[in-house]
Amino acid sequence: MRQKNKKTFLIMDERNKQIAYKVIAIMYFLTFFAIVGILLYRQFILGQEIDEFEDIAIILTINSLFLIAALLYFGAIPIRRLKVKSILLIYFVWVVAGSLFTYAKYNIFQGLGLSFKQLFDKLIIIVTITGLIMGFWILLSILGKKRIDKELE
Amino acid sequence: MENIKLKIARVEKGLSQQDLADLVSATRQTIGLIEKGKYNPSLNLCIRIAKTLDRTLNELFWYETKE
Repeated sequence: MRQKNKKTFLIMDERNKQIAYKVIAIMYFLTFFAIVGILLYRQFILGQEIDEFEDIAIILTINSLFLIAALLYFGAIPIRRLKVKSILLIYFVWVVAGSLFTYAKYNIFQGLGLSFKQLFDKLIIIVTITGLIMGFWILLSILGKKRIDKELE
Repeated sequence: MENIKLKIARVEKGLSQQDLADLVSATRQTIGLIEKGKYNPSLNLCIRIAKTLDRTLNELFWYETKE
């Protein structure tokens, strides 16, 4: 007994989809890092003002924020339990990295020689933005965990 | 590791790789790779193949390992 399903032009089975997802993910990251490279080049080598590539930077920032948020929400990054100690440690590392980047940008690459007060003002922005981003990710991971728990009920 | 059991079951059923692929909504290449042991199918696909060939999962996909 031979019965054939109706043939369609494009048949994608699970293996094809797996390969497609893998290729798309690799191409996405290559594009992402290429754009990051271009932004750094324009900012630090060509010395362009942020206004000149602000649009690309905003898209890239939103993209990476939501990428991590989606990974957390859909359970691609497994978090068993949110520990305050780990959160604070990640937050601290982020703030330190952001501060060093800001210092390097203004006092080394651009040679503006910002005062301690001016750097401190920028540090407040870094601390606030980092806090908001981490809060957003924590919220998404809690919602994702709840969603999975609901599916298991 | 080549999946001889699947190949035998398919041939006994009188199906080509393309026929089996059509019946389980897969491609011929996927069936070929499963038979060659170069692709690990999902459990859903394994079940569809087993049902189509009137076999159990054990009969098609289980191998005893020598200790």
